[in-house]
Amino acid sequence: MDLSLTPTQADIRAAARRYLDDRCPPSRPAEHAAELWPELVRTGWLDPDLGAVELVLLAEESGRALLPAPWWATTRAVPVYRAAGAELPGPVTSVDGTGSCVVRDGRLHGRCNAVVDARTCAEIVVAADTGDGVALFGVRPDAPGVTLTDRPGPDLLRTAADLVLTDVVGRLLLGPPAAAPVLAEVTRRSALLAAAEGVGVATRALEFAAEHARTRVQFGRPIGAFQAVGHALAECYADVEAARSLVYRAACAPDLPDAAHCATWSAARAAARCGETAIQVCGGMGVTWEFPLHRWYRRALWLEARVAAGPDPVDAIAAALLGPETVEGTP
Amino acid sequence: MRLDDSDEERAFRSELRAWLRTAVPAAPDGLPPQWTDGELRAWSAALHEAGYAGLTWPVEHGGRGLSPAYQAVFAEESALAEAPDQANVIGLNMVGPSIIAHGSEAQRAHHLPRILSGETTFCQGFSEPEAGSDLAALRTRATPVPGGYLLNGHKLWSSYAHLADHCLLLARTDPDAPRHRGLSCFLLDLRAPGVEVRPLRKLSGDDSFSEIVLRDVFTPADSVLGAPGDGWRVAMTTLAHERGTFGIALTARLAVQHARLRRTITAFGADRDPVVRREFAELHVELEGLRHTGYRALATLLRTGEPGPESTVVKLGWSRANQRLTALACRVAARADHPWYAHWTRERLRARTNTIEGGTSEVLLGVIAERVLGLPRSR
Ligand SMILES: Cc1cc2nc3c(=O)[nH]c(=O)nc-3n(C[C@H](O)[C@H](O)[C@H](O)COP(=O)(O)OP(=O)(O)OC[C@H]3O[C@@H](n4cnc5c(N)ncnc54)[C@H](O)[C@@H]3O)c2cc1C
Repeated sequence: MDLSLTPTQADIRAAARRYLDDRCPPSRPAEHAAELWPELVRTGWLDPDLGAVELVLLAEESGRALLPAPWWATTRAVPVYRAAGAELPGPVTSVDGTGSCVVRDGRLHGRCNAVVDARTCAEIVVAADTGDGVALFGVRPDAPGVTLTDRPGPDLLRTAADLVLTDVVGRLLLGPPAAAPVLAEVTRRSALLAAAEGVGVATRALEFAAEHARTRVQFGRPIGAFQAVGHALAECYADVEAARSLVYRAACAPDLPDAAHCATWSAARAAARCGETAIQVCGGMGVTWEFPLHRWYRRALWLEARVAAGPDPVDAIAAALLGPETVEGTP
Repeated sequence: MRLDDSDEERAFRSELRAWLRTAVPAAPDGLPPQWTDGELRAWSAALHEAGYAGLTWPVEHGGRGLSPAYQAVFAEESALAEAPDQANVIGLNMVGPSIIAHGSEAQRAHHLPRILSGETTFCQGFSEPEAGSDLAALRTRATPVPGGYLLNGHKLWSSYAHLADHCLLLARTDPDAPRHRGLSCFLLDLRAPGVEVRPLRKLSGDDSFSEIVLRDVFTPADSVLGAPGDGWRVAMTTLAHERGTFGIALTARLAVQHARLRRTITAFGADRDPVVRREFAELHVELEGLRHTGYRALATLLRTGEPGPESTVVKLGWSRANQRLTALACRVAARADHPWYAHWTRERLRARTNTIEGGTSEVLLGVIAERVLGLPRSR
């Protein structure tokens, strides 16, 4: 058993943090956004051979810095391109929410809700029913027959759009039966990397608050010396570390039936709680638009909504431990 | 980063597991047995005979010289097997390592073999009526006299003192020195004249801790552990020896409680109750979060010699989770007149000590705030 970073993993994390501290400081949220993508590609963030632990570390750092590039959206779809033997055409995204698409006469029809980063990516991975099973297609957001309708959400740095496809030509990436397991892998990666991102978001919110609590003076002392403040932040720390441990566990043991659900639930909760406690500790300044903290809180709300929109992780854990829920009276 | 044992750890674990299977009597009704004092003493001796005492002690002091990873496996497997508590846990995990670190040759030669064999059992005498969370307020006096010291004072809440023949005692040798400076640590023989050990009853009905009254107790000069006046530092290092593996013992016990809760829930048909299902699943998330935080702290300890800062959250989270778990179990089992209801009631009552013993939750939150988050002192 060794649940700590190897020296290489520690280096990866340190390099990611140095890079993001330099490129995406809180004072300039998205200044270099356009230049970031080629830099990420060049420095290996999109390397298809990155293991789950390495990805989780990058996702954590990207959440901590609120990396303004479609890295999460792209990385979760990497297995599709790898399985298809295709090059990534640039930043991509994949369908994640509700909706359904079908293939009729070789053309795509249907709708997909809340596709993250749909406008900024080069290609959208769309799952469509062929009649013989699911297939995965690459669809260009500007292709004829594609309509994108912006979907309001809490997070201004991570936008989403509803996608409607009418008679669209897509490029076939994976057909049945190969597509289904790869799609499941995409879903798993989406959840794991979102949870890791949540840990980074929670960590950064707590850093803002601790820094403020060390320096803001009221009643003649730094407010962090008041136990009501110190204990609240200590509770946040306990939440973040538990979530971090669960994310590492899920990265190391993907086959445990509860692992991803535990990580998802605890990380989303830690991010929201830390965001809320941090805002409280920062007082009036914490609720202003100028103070950057709300951007992390908004990402926490986005993560929470993502969890709420999917199957309930706590129900899934209960089912893994106690068996499926049966209605009283049924055998 | 990996979750499975190394080959050596796996071999150690399976050998230990096989031994525990034969050594720990099976509980007939699926409930953990209540051990008598005699059984607890016998268990200490059995562990020594089988080579499981002093796992991390250096070989030259009679230990096995293993890394804390093996101590963690031992703690985990003992909890899973519901083996008896180690009555000499204070001797083996706190006093022994401190004697190895700070003790004289004579202290080592006298105490270490006896601690290992279970012949000597230690308790810890730190807390006092006026000194709980604020340990440095302690008043027990050690007055220098020819050949040693005279001890006068009153110690409280000393676990296992009724079984112990020695006490790791913290007392004030210099009343004029600043609070933390004038203290010394003693290896006190509880059989000395003037020592009175009175068991105290807990609200659960257990009497596994005691008060110790000291009236003009003579203790020889060579019973001071470390330098006179250096007691605070020695006492803090005794507490530090356990960090890193102690949390793993706690979460392993919590896992056993959680598994028994699952059996209770299914036995009473509460697995169809959505509220119970939810709370049970939430407890599982807490348990796994703490367990793996303990593993992270241990991994850092193995790499650097110091457990990671995240080790500070394990005891805090464990105590609350155990209280929440036993409360849920009580509510589930209360639905029927079943032996498990009595068991869970006792466990729930016992769990109240968890947020007080070994540093209260409030004190631990303060430690995290100050030492981990770097916030200014609140006092
Ligand atoms: C089961 C059990 C076993 C024990 N075994 C041993 C043993 O073997 N040896 C030994 O020496 N001691 C032992 N203790 C004692 C234990 O260490 C003390 O009980 C503990 O440190 C708290 O001290 P206290 O009981 O005097 O409570 P107090 O310190 O008086 O605390 C009372 C309340 O005030 C709060 N409080 C105190 N200070 C602060 C602060 N600065 N900020 C916020 N809140 C504060 C506490 O959190 C608590 O809620 C044991 C205790 C228990 C319950």
